[in-house]
Amino acid sequence: MSVIWIVIILSAIGLVSGILIFIVNKVLPREPESLKRAEQVAQYLPGYNCGACGYPGCFAYAQAAAEDKDIITKNPCATVLQDESMLSGIEEALGLEIDTSQMNKKAVVHCYGVTVPLGDYEGIKTCDAANSLVGGFKRCSYGCLGFGDCAVVCPQDAITIDEVRNVAVVDPDKCTGCGLCINQCSKGIIELVPADSNIVFRCSYESLKDIPGRERCDEGCLHCRKCFKACEHDAIIWNREKGIPEFDFSKCIMCGECIEACPHNRLIELKNVVPHKPALKK
Amino acid sequence: MNNLFSIFIAMAIVNNMVLAKFLGLCPFFGVSKKLSNAISMGIAVTFVMLLASVSTTVIYNYLLVPFHVEFMRIVLYILVIASLVQIVELTIRRTNIILYNALGIYLPLITTNCAVLGIALINSQESYNVLQSTISSLGAGVGFSLVLIIMSGIRETLDLGESPESMKGLPIAFITAALLAMAFMGFSGMV
Ligand code: SF4
Ligand code: SF4
Repeated sequence: MSVIWIVIILSAIGLVSGILIFIVNKVLPREPESLKRAEQVAQYLPGYNCGACGYPGCFAYAQAAAEDKDIITKNPCATVLQDESMLSGIEEALGLEIDTSQMNKKAVVHCYGVTVPLGDYEGIKTCDAANSLVGGFKRCSYGCLGFGDCAVVCPQDAITIDEVRNVAVVDPDKCTGCGLCINQCSKGIIELVPADSNIVFRCSYESLKDIPGRERCDEGCLHCRKCFKACEHDAIIWNREKGIPEFDFSKCIMCGECIEACPHNRLIELKNVVPHKPALKK
Repeated sequence: MNNLFSIFIAMAIVNNMVLAKFLGLCPFFGVSKKLSNAISMGIAVTFVMLLASVSTTVIYNYLLVPFHVEFMRIVLYILVIASLVQIVELTIRRTNIILYNALGIYLPLITTNCAVLGIALINSQESYNVLQSTISSLGAGVGFSLVLIIMSGIRETLDLGESPESMKGLPIAFITAALLAMAFMGFSGMV
């Protein structure tokens, strides 16, 4: 007998609860318009809650964007920029055209990473700890330390440590250009470059501040300025203070002249950061 | 009257939900970082406990006992509490979005807050009537808020002080909670 009572009581209580929720839902004032829009925007956000945009989670970002549309362009979510469908969803939800040509970025590590260690490092295995100890344990005090502090913070698992060369390598397909790794790197050798620029320079050795030449790293920049002279498009700016080339990606046409000219041709590489997806709207 | 008072004190202090029964620990550690959040969480939990106790006691005394289906109470209580939290969540969301954001994930967590289910079960275990269970849930809620407020006060102060690097954040909070629980053990046997 009690089985029947259970069924009756359970269904009755379930029904009453359902009706109550329905009534409360009807009686209460409607949600503000911006909240609804935020929810729409949040649908198209990745939901990683990585915090790279500076907001505590994707929904907070969506709320901010729903109130101020400019946030999408001023403070873009890097993952959204990589994904056409998310992007068009947000454009639709907020009713705007997003011009991504200036925003789509990738991280590159400016180090080739073969420099010899000065000795065995026995301390805490993080770049930060190693760096606070006389700038690391490698002959070149500018290069990557290879403990992967950057790999730990990357929400996309885009960074791996190349065990042979002992250097962090960014997978351009996975990297969304959020920039979290940049602040994490105690050497400051990670940079965001436009995603469709295919030139990487893999050295950070500042010759003028340190022993000149290649005392410190067999693979490092020779500071010969041959790339600078070879570039006919003024895309290379010679950084006089550091003695290394810097690239002006707006002028670079990716002809590869600098690579030809560099006697140490591993340092400048072409087609290294190219995303295999087609670049977004021009 | 005396009886009601002792029920209140027993639930609030002697058998404190968090520190003596170890129920509701996730909001306890999650929301006790800021005093203001702790107060609103305390109020929300007390409110839900009150609603839940009253409705579950009514259901228990007037439905389950007469039809001899007391053994179904856990299932029913979960159903009732879940829908109550839904209603409370809707209300807060529509009326006070700032509070809603501040409570964040912990608001739906009230549903799964074992303290709420705990108080409902304790009430039926002790076969309290509606008035008694109202008082006991009020006591439990006040006790929960009290501990949350004490803890958030301590944690706010701890943040300003210098705790060892490896102890910062949750580790020191757990140690503090243990010390608090020991302090509350002093009340045992009072009522
Ligand atoms: S790039 Fe920077 S953070 Fe990453 S492994 Fe190298 S030194 Fe460490
Ligand atoms: S590699 Fe750096 S910029 Fe790219 S996704 Fe990872 S943390 Fe962000």
